[in-house]
Amino acid sequence: MMDLDHPTTRVARFEAAKLLQRPPSAARHDWAVLVDAVACRRDRDSFLRIYDYFAPRLRRYLQGLGGDEGLAEELAQEALLRLWQRAAQYDAARSSLSTWLFRIARNLFIDRARKEPVWSQTQEYLEEMGVLDGAGESEPPGTEALTEEANIRRAIEQLPAVQARLIRMSYFEAKSHQAIADELAMPLGTVKSHLRRAFLKLQNELR
Amino acid sequence: MRPMNPRHHLGEATLLSYAAGALPTALGVVAAAHLSICAECRQRLRLAERIGGGLIEMQQDRPSPEQARQAMLARLDDTPAPAGASMLPPATLADDPDALPAPLHPYFGPSLSALRWRWLAPGVHLIRARVDEGNLFMLRIGPGRSMPVHGHNGSELTQILQGAYNDELGHFAPGDMADLDDEIEHQPVTAEGGTCICVAALDGTLRFDGWFARTLQPLFGL
Repeated sequence: MMDLDHPTTRVARFEAAKLLQRPPSAARHDWAVLVDAVACRRDRDSFLRIYDYFAPRLRRYLQGLGGDEGLAEELAQEALLRLWQRAAQYDAARSSLSTWLFRIARNLFIDRARKEPVWSQTQEYLEEMGVLDGAGESEPPGTEALTEEANIRRAIEQLPAVQARLIRMSYFEAKSHQAIADELAMPLGTVKSHLRRAFLKLQNELR
Repeated sequence: MRPMNPRHHLGEATLLSYAAGALPTALGVVAAAHLSICAECRQRLRLAERIGGGLIEMQQDRPSPEQARQAMLARLDDTPAPAGASMLPPATLADDPDALPAPLHPYFGPSLSALRWRWLAPGVHLIRARVDEGNLFMLRIGPGRSMPVHGHNGSELTQILQGAYNDELGHFAPGDMADLDDEIEHQPVTAEGGTCICVAALDGTLRFDGWFARTLQPLFGL
């Protein structure tokens, strides 16, 4: 019989309890499997793993867009609640979980903070049109998702500094081309050509 | 409006900002009108959204406070909020030449034939829509007419809905998008044989040269 008080066993027990309580938040998972468990079994543990990884990231993203801490917390929670409620609609073959959650959080922010009530409806319409388009470029499903995420990270990290900065100002601060031009005292055409080159480079890397 | 195979598309910078939610409202509406009829740009939009997903991934990870986790868990039993009625029609590949692109419906109504035009100048009619950021309007330009030479203080997006025009940048037919910045001056002239109808957005003002144009500018109010 196992010696329950043996130091190694105690450590193992402690580690197991910690894992159960809160999975290491830096851990990346096979998200499709976890979302599937949420959709089919209403599995709260799987949901919490997704929550622990994505909630802090969504919160920071939403704060960058100009939401105060309270609004960022509320909308991050709202975005993950959507995931809980609509997990069955998630299609890993169409988008990675981070892209899916990015879209949800962005749409919630624009609807709520910018009060553009038709934005989300327009995005849903375009998404449906995309489904009607049928087969096309899609993100690698399920098991390959981790590679896809790593590829995107690497491609973004390799952008020249000025392009990376403009990408961040666009996505994380929702600054228009004109606002970026004003802030950096850069001609509008230069802002656009930097963003254009960044897009083409990422497109090339991620094809 | 039927799906099309346009030859002029949204610029990469515009697509990126659209995906980021960073385009001023008026430009976003016209970009969406193009996206609704252009499968190629929808594909490119998906890449721009993947970049957003990648950036979310790259955010630094500070664990949620326990209180926030508990609050989240407590909400899982909430009943989903009922979705409000959409102001857009269902997505369809059906071909109705009178229908406006769906993303324009909340601003201009569902069809070309029901539009109520306002006279602006001989051969030129206009309808403006109310948006928070930028100017959003539709233009109807009679056969053989031209717009005065103009530049922009900012960006201009124009989507052709019916007819065609030519300018320094080429021939623009239904479905085509002219995605212009402040370095471009152009003079659209309607192509032979028909009226040209387009929807356009500006995040700045138009810049006209010459006395005629300066006279016209106040009429435009743009």
